[in-house]
Amino acid sequence: MKTVCTGLAIVCSVLTAIFAVLPLSNLAVIPALAALVFGLIAFYWSRKTGEVKKIIPFTFLLTGVALCFTIYKAVFTSTEVAETTALEAKESQLEEEAIEALEDIDLDLEDLEGLEDIDIEE
Amino acid sequence: MRITLILLTLFSVTARPQNSAIGTHEKLIYTASYNMSGLLTDIAQVTMETSPVKTSKATLLRLKCTAATYSKWDNFFKIRDLYESYVNPNTLTPYLYNRDINEGSYYKAMKYTFSHKTNTVKSVQTKKNNNVENKTVSIGNYTKDIVSTLYHIRLFDFEHMEIGRSKSLTILFDRKETKAQITYLGKETISTAIGKKECYKLAIGSSAEILEGNNSNLLWLTADNNKIIVYGKFKIPVGNGELKIKSVTGLKH
Repeated sequence: MKTVCTGLAIVCSVLTAIFAVLPLSNLAVIPALAALVFGLIAFYWSRKTGEVKKIIPFTFLLTGVALCFTIYKAVFTSTEVAETTALEAKESQLEEEAIEALEDIDLDLEDLEGLEDIDIEE
Repeated sequence: MRITLILLTLFSVTARPQNSAIGTHEKLIYTASYNMSGLLTDIAQVTMETSPVKTSKATLLRLKCTAATYSKWDNFFKIRDLYESYVNPNTLTPYLYNRDINEGSYYKAMKYTFSHKTNTVKSVQTKKNNNVENKTVSIGNYTKDIVSTLYHIRLFDFEHMEIGRSKSLTILFDRKETKAQITYLGKETISTAIGKKECYKLAIGSSAEILEGNNSNLLWLTADNNKIIVYGKFKIPVGNGELKIKSVTGLKH
């Protein structure tokens, strides 16, 4: 039980650290909670047997640091879109091409007013 | 009695919703998020914009949708997608459709030219390394592209629709016709970034899914004259995808 919980606490704390540095950092909370729970169980069992391995406090430390980094990112990182120049250029290019193409399409007034289909199949 | 029936039948065939909801300078900005166990992660910004386009023959409406990942995602998986449709401003009948997608190292462009007289669509597909493929596909009378379909939903009269009633839509996507169904689930008031809004709640999916009660893809449209999409919820393999309104400008009403 002690070994299993220690192993799970290590795995979860490493996962917390990995999630914390990825853009999905909000999800680091899930393995962090698991790491804390397994770490506490492992710590409790270790104290009962009289020997607490150094790795258990290390998992707490790693999880704590990763959680602080996650909270920092959640508070101070702004969600914004950058580098849209290529997309804007594409928008203008497609509009110009579309206007040219629409000139060749049969678009008389009759077409605009007559063929108005609306898909209402109930 | 017979005359009334004939008149009613004729009316039901010819009565077509006109555009009373979509303005010519609308700009709706959304945040697309990934939700796992209540933890939201913002992934991309989705913009839906309308603008008038003048040709020598007529003025059409350009419906444009763009999706761009937030800067924190760009180094991992950069998305710059563009979907647009040139439609009849009164009825949203599409004439030309463009799709240009850049997702990581994947690129694909698709162009549809609709011919409603012959019920055909000329398609041009371009992939990486200028790999061009032309194909003409036959379509039904009511087939639309994905963008005009999204806007077309706003023309339905939900106010006079019974709860649980469905409408069918045929969408041309990847040169294949796909049937979709919109089911009206009633009114619901939700909190959004633009205030508390009374909304029409809709379920999207195939008829089988809805019958099974799996309403996992949902849309909320404001229950006013604009009928804008303010919230969307979509089921994905792990967790949920969400689309939330961020800002609105240029509404018709």
